[in-house]
Amino acid sequence: MAEQQDWNSLSDTEFRKIFRSWVDENCPMRLRNMRKQRPVFDELADWYHALADKGWLSPVWPQEYGGMGLNAAKHIIYVEEWARLGCPRIPDHGIGLVGPLLIEFGTEAQKAHYLPRILSGEDVWCQGYSEPGAGSDLASLRTAAVRDGDSFIVNGQKIWTTLAHCANWILLLTRTSRDEKVKQKGITVLLVDLTSPGVTVRPIENLRQEADFCEVFFENVRVPAENLVGEVDKGWNLAKAVLGHERIFLGAPSRPEVALSRLEQLAEARGAFADPAFVARYARLRLDLYDLGSAFERFAKQLRDDGTLGADVSVLKIFCSELYQKITEETLDIAGEEARFLDDLPTGNGEVDAMNLYLDSRALAIFGGSNEIQRTILAKAVLGLPS
Amino acid sequence: MPEIILEDPDGTFAMLRDSVAAFAQRFDGAKSLRARRGAGRDLDRDIWSAMAEAGWLGLMLPEDLGGAGLGLSEQAILSEALGRALITEPLAQLSVFSGTLLAGAEPGAERSRLAEGLISGSLVVSPVWQTTDGGFAVVTATADVAGVTLSGTADLVVAAASADVFLVLARSKDERVLISVPAGSDGLSVSERPTVDGATLAQVRFDGCPVAAEQVLARGLLGNDLLDDAIQATRLTLAAELAGAGSKALEATVDYTKERVQFGKPIASFQAIQHRLVDMWSVAEFSCAAIVNALERLADEPGKPAALAVLAAKARAGDAAVDITRKAIHLHGAMGFTDECDIGLYMKRAVNLNATLGNPAQLRLQFVALERAA
Repeated sequence: MAEQQDWNSLSDTEFRKIFRSWVDENCPMRLRNMRKQRPVFDELADWYHALADKGWLSPVWPQEYGGMGLNAAKHIIYVEEWARLGCPRIPDHGIGLVGPLLIEFGTEAQKAHYLPRILSGEDVWCQGYSEPGAGSDLASLRTAAVRDGDSFIVNGQKIWTTLAHCANWILLLTRTSRDEKVKQKGITVLLVDLTSPGVTVRPIENLRQEADFCEVFFENVRVPAENLVGEVDKGWNLAKAVLGHERIFLGAPSRPEVALSRLEQLAEARGAFADPAFVARYARLRLDLYDLGSAFERFAKQLRDDGTLGADVSVLKIFCSELYQKITEETLDIAGEEARFLDDLPTGNGEVDAMNLYLDSRALAIFGGSNEIQRTILAKAVLGLPS
Repeated sequence: MPEIILEDPDGTFAMLRDSVAAFAQRFDGAKSLRARRGAGRDLDRDIWSAMAEAGWLGLMLPEDLGGAGLGLSEQAILSEALGRALITEPLAQLSVFSGTLLAGAEPGAERSRLAEGLISGSLVVSPVWQTTDGGFAVVTATADVAGVTLSGTADLVVAAASADVFLVLARSKDERVLISVPAGSDGLSVSERPTVDGATLAQVRFDGCPVAAEQVLARGLLGNDLLDDAIQATRLTLAAELAGAGSKALEATVDYTKERVQFGKPIASFQAIQHRLVDMWSVAEFSCAAIVNALERLADEPGKPAALAVLAAKARAGDAAVDITRKAIHLHGAMGFTDECDIGLYMKRAVNLNATLGNPAQLRLQFVALERAA
């Protein structure tokens, strides 16, 4: 196990310097600034293990479980530097979702068993939440878990399960009972081995023609009762609790930042900055990005001061995802006739993955709660508007 | 509702907000605006004197000139609160812009007299320096035996009819000079035009207007930071006022749509309305964040980073306030289209402030030009 120190006692500048220099030295160049948003485990196993050996794989888990134990302020630095150095997103459902859930709600036996296996890369997790009939309305999920002796028998289907085809475990929200009035009741969290008999994983090609998410089918899958997290029927609040301050990262400026730098690169190459109409459009996008940075800092400061965030943070996700789209749309506009190409556009100074970003930018406004859902949440939680 | 969030260890900001709230009890913003508009005046001297008594007019002027010696953060909090309360006397130009120029002028009897009068409210000191396109007016100062003679025309002058003194930025050979010109001087004429929010802007003409030599307050203002500082401080003040007006208009609209019942339900329960209100709230949040960012950059990174941040803040707050207030009118339905309903006054105020010292499109272009300049 790597030696740890009290990172939170360092100044932000010190921590940033230490973190940045090690990551810059150790993250393989072939993984930097990848086109792919979500490389699979095998592509970056060496980097994953290097982080694990260093003890830096899991920024927020407490150190007793092998994490860095970072507070929110330091975690933001971790994520910022990660993005700045162009490091790839690692399959992080185990680190970001399952780990925190077990640390807070799991039994000692569950923690002792699962946490080390996440750090070692032995277990790769995915998140089994959405279903064909339960997307925005997640609480209407129907995948059934029925108690049978010392097991649950699971039947049903999950969809949009990111990287399920590269995972061997799934964190599953199941229906154990039905309350006609409150559909959030009767939901139970189970840890399910994807190699169990009766599980079928079918990758789905996304708009970028990548297999990034999957359908997962469960047919009489037997899950040991000890794989229950928390209490039967009370899983909804568990699932919500672990979201925590991580929601701020859905609105972090890094995605539109990358997209804007590509737009600038293409605009320089095509001489678009000589066109006042383009400059006016570009200026709007540039200022939107600049102001997103200011708004992100407004919430980051709140997080540093209070340790928590309110529902209002989803304003970042809405703004960020819509800006990301506007930038990639503008990039295709100035690509002109070339906007049709699937492959990257040559500029004489590197290539610009205009179509890749254009397609990718469709997703952020949909996942993690579509922007319409976010607006409805804000209407109720922040403005107190009636139903 | 969104507001400018700054650390307030000694409670100064809370005090400023309270004092504006108390002031608004005495002088209702909308009512005062309508009264002044009805009387065809460009400034309400009673309100202006009360603002002086509250200590607001000399907030940023240094203590050795009799001011409170506070900074832009305090000014921003004050102006945000004034924007909320729709107290529309032109503090940004008459106190912040004129005050910054006076603070940077050369020490002397005339400067002291003007600063003292500005702070006490006894002198209305209107800056004169722009053309209708926002650029520098051409007012020429020609030296002669008695002092200088001014010729030329300037526009966009606030409170010109009420002004006791014009603070004129003139060109003298190849330098810029700042000159104090008493209202009513020979060869000086003022013609007013109404603005949408019930005030006026004036064209001021100098037709061989003689000024004594001791009225020249500063020289060498070309390539000097003073004017940039004044513009920057005023822009940020306007941004804060816009943020306050936008936030208040949003609040009023949320309240109204919760009360207004159609089809047996409050209209705020309809998703189409809810999403609009959320979008209004979002841009109000972004305005406040942009202003805080500008204040921080001014404190930590003066120069280019601060200049960029101020441009961004004024652009964002202006865009947001105009957008919010326009939607606010719409969400008030036919009532929103009446003069009787206050919400329209917020929109008119926002339109005025948004157009002052650069509209968002212009400011964004300045931002990009400055950022991309090597």
